[in-house]
Amino acid sequence: MGIGTYLALASVLFGVGAAGFLARRNMLIQLMSIELMLNSVNVLLLAFNRVNPSNHDGQVFAFFVIAVAAAEAALGLAILIAYYRVTKTLNTDDATLLKY
Amino acid sequence: MHVEAPQQILLLLIILFPLGGAIINGLLGRYMAKGLVTLVGVGSVALSFALAVVSFVELYGLRHESETATLVYHFYEWFSLKLPSGNVVAVNVRFVMDSLSGVMTLIVTGVGGLIHLYSIGYMGDDEGYPRFMSFLNLFMASMLILVLGSSMPVMFVGWEGVGLCSYLLIGFWFENRDYAAAGRKAFVVNRIGDFGVLIGMFILVGVAGSFEFADINSAAMAGEFRPDFPVWLLGVAPSLATVACVFLFLGCTGKSAQIPLYIWLPDAMAGPTPVSALIHAATMVTAGVYLCCRLSPLFITSDVAMSIIAVTGTLTALLAASIAVVQREMKKILAYSTVSQLGFMFAAVGVGAFAAGFFHVFTHAFFKACLFLGAGSVMHAVHAHGDADIFKLGGLRKALPITRLTFLASCLAIAGFPLTSGFFSKDEILLGAAAQIFRPDDMLMTSVGWFTLIGLTLAAVMTAFYMFRLYFLTFTGEYRSADQSGDHPYDAHPHESPPAMTIPLVVLAVGALTVGFLGLPHVVPIIGTHLSDYSWWGHWMEASVAGQPVPEQMYIVNLASGLAFGAMAIGISAAWVLYRNKSTDALAEKMPARLYQLAFDKWRVDELYAATIVNPIKNVAVVAGRADMTFVDAVMTKLPSFNVREAGRILARLQNGVVHVYGAVVVVGVVAVLAWFWTPHSRIEAAFEGTRVELTTPQGLGYEYRWDANSDGEFETQWKGTPGTTFEYGHDDMRGIAVFLKNTHSGIEHRIDVTDEWMPLPIESVVPAEFLSPRDTGFEVRIDGEFLLFRKAHARTKLSGMKEIRLPMGKSGRLGPARVSSRPLVEATLEVRNAFGNTRRATKEIALPFGFEAPTHASLTRPAHEVVR
Repeated sequence: MGIGTYLALASVLFGVGAAGFLARRNMLIQLMSIELMLNSVNVLLLAFNRVNPSNHDGQVFAFFVIAVAAAEAALGLAILIAYYRVTKTLNTDDATLLKY
Repeated sequence: MHVEAPQQILLLLIILFPLGGAIINGLLGRYMAKGLVTLVGVGSVALSFALAVVSFVELYGLRHESETATLVYHFYEWFSLKLPSGNVVAVNVRFVMDSLSGVMTLIVTGVGGLIHLYSIGYMGDDEGYPRFMSFLNLFMASMLILVLGSSMPVMFVGWEGVGLCSYLLIGFWFENRDYAAAGRKAFVVNRIGDFGVLIGMFILVGVAGSFEFADINSAAMAGEFRPDFPVWLLGVAPSLATVACVFLFLGCTGKSAQIPLYIWLPDAMAGPTPVSALIHAATMVTAGVYLCCRLSPLFITSDVAMSIIAVTGTLTALLAASIAVVQREMKKILAYSTVSQLGFMFAAVGVGAFAAGFFHVFTHAFFKACLFLGAGSVMHAVHAHGDADIFKLGGLRKALPITRLTFLASCLAIAGFPLTSGFFSKDEILLGAAAQIFRPDDMLMTSVGWFTLIGLTLAAVMTAFYMFRLYFLTFTGEYRSADQSGDHPYDAHPHESPPAMTIPLVVLAVGALTVGFLGLPHVVPIIGTHLSDYSWWGHWMEASVAGQPVPEQMYIVNLASGLAFGAMAIGISAAWVLYRNKSTDALAEKMPARLYQLAFDKWRVDELYAATIVNPIKNVAVVAGRADMTFVDAVMTKLPSFNVREAGRILARLQNGVVHVYGAVVVVGVVAVLAWFWTPHSRIEAAFEGTRVELTTPQGLGYEYRWDANSDGEFETQWKGTPGTTFEYGHDDMRGIAVFLKNTHSGIEHRIDVTDEWMPLPIESVVPAEFLSPRDTGFEVRIDGEFLLFRKAHARTKLSGMKEIRLPMGKSGRLGPARVSSRPLVEATLEVRNAFGNTRRATKEIALPFGFEAPTHASLTRPAHEVVR
């Protein structure tokens, strides 16, 4: 398999994530979409590492991304639960407190 | 021989003591006990006086060794500036005591010290006593800087400093709006004069190349101020000296209260009485006379300026005296008397009797300070506030014996009673005026002399009259506020003032009676004996003050002293008859009512100024204020702020808090960036090194390049990661000729389009027509194969066809200020490929700055392309 296949997979994953983030109004779904986009980047990193295996930068970076994604998910879910307790909704259309 | 003693630190200390007193009392006075404030305030001035005496004695001793001995203290170099002539002038903070500034220092510290002492009694109960002492000390320091400064800028520091203190002290009781307004008036009027001093100073430094008084005076004596002023005024060419002196005198009219700027001084009496005595009688207002004396060698070189000064001084003396004759309030009379006496001093300066004018400064300091302090003593005694109406006083000789005697002594002195100080000084002034009349063959001087002599005599009559009117109405007859039934605002039982007030009175009165003997005349009237050995004053002043020679002819001396004595006798007698033991204003009853009212209203000069100058300026200020509000504040301040606020209001809608919108914006941005990176971007740059051309392009990430340097469709290089290449073009690569016109001065270059048809050469596009001569214009140009052809358009018919000029490719020719060059054009192509595999082509036309060897028709050899890399 050439690198093009991996690139195509990553692009599709990223596109699905971005579309999901923009189209859905549920915060939980949006968080999941963000995870999809992050993982598409991970696929890219691993694919490039395979093409250029002289060092392991790609794999190391993929681990970093996984760690950051875990932290982000923990924080995001915590905020989400706290927000839900206050407003009893997870619809982003109603979450406009931080506007002008 | 010029003797200079070593650095005289005392000169600095004389100034620093009052300055330190001002700082201590100003910052800490309100927290200190009253006794301590007094100790600092009066003690510093007393110390200063003691040091002044020590310095003066030393200077006196040095005079035996050298006539021009001075004491000098060089403190530090303040700054230096470069004149237009290229000379660098250093401005030093440097203090000099010579015969003139020595005497002035003694007056300032001596009389000033007495007035400080007096202030203990007069101002001791005032809430602002520490502030008062601080201002008074600051005044002393400023005045001493003014007097001792060796150069114009240092003197000007003192000049402004005393102006500031004058303002602060006139408005000392600033809760009263009128008093505050009086202070403001003094300040503003003085600013007009200060402008004159500045202009005068600039002229002086421009001509003399130095700010030092000594250098300016020696330049004046060397005649450097004789040439005409470079700008003609009103069709006449005054000398440099005249213009400089007139501007300096404008400053003097402000500071020393002369026509036209005298109007602030009478209002200045709003300040506490010691201030009137110290600043507005004895010291500050004489600064103008001091300046004229300081620069007397300069002033004496301009007859015109001297005449202006003499006439102005005489008119001021007359005008002020005529006002003083009808006033009702003690300090107001004394204020106009001061203006009048200052007029005497300037008249003396104007007729060249500088030493006499300054002698009057000296004697006037004693009797006028004594008169003001006496008036203060009276007001203190009857609890008058602000000023005292003499028609509500009277008979105070019983209650105030010391005040009365000292007041009488000073009245005699100012009136010019024989053997008092005023007698000698006024005599000298009239003598100077009389001498002017008899200066041979000078119409201007003679007429100015007559005018001054007659004017001053009349003013002297009025002086004696109004002073004794004041004396008789205040001290003789019955006390008119004794029964409190009528409109009598004063205390029924006046009492003599405390010793702190009477001691200065006595000292000043003794001075007023005796200091005149320092200036015994050279020639005694009537007797005619030469007493020149005894004229201590004239001899002392000679070293630092110029002047016209003092006449020794008996008829002049007799004329002057006869007039002076007669004026005194007439004035006092008239006052005796009209006012002794009287309670009503007999003169006012005898005068026409309207004339009296006009004189009482000070000839309505303030109203005249208000109508002609002040109100128009106020109206301009109102208009300017409106313009400020409607234009600057509205259009230039509120409009931009409105725009920003409204733009913000609209743009703030974008921040709507909806996370999808933010996300969409991010995605749009990412797509835009991706789109830009999708195809490569590049541009070609060419540099020339000999006949080789270096082609480069900015390097992009992941880009590969290949070059077709001569655009013939064959790439000379393969794909590679480095952007540059080098190429040597040949004749075959040429695609045409580019013609450039360049302005060789400015470097502006234009490419022009030239075809093989004749067209005018547009040389005007790079060189403005006014820089072109007919030789450079009127050319036509066309391209003929590999040559550029020029011809003169209108020369075609006159001359044969040989007038065409051929310019080979790659060469340039000069046309006046322009250069025309013909350059071969080549084209370079670059193909760029990025990581996405997309390619893009860039081409660039390059005008080579050199030519090719054109192949001759016989030659079949053609230069081959040289492929590099």
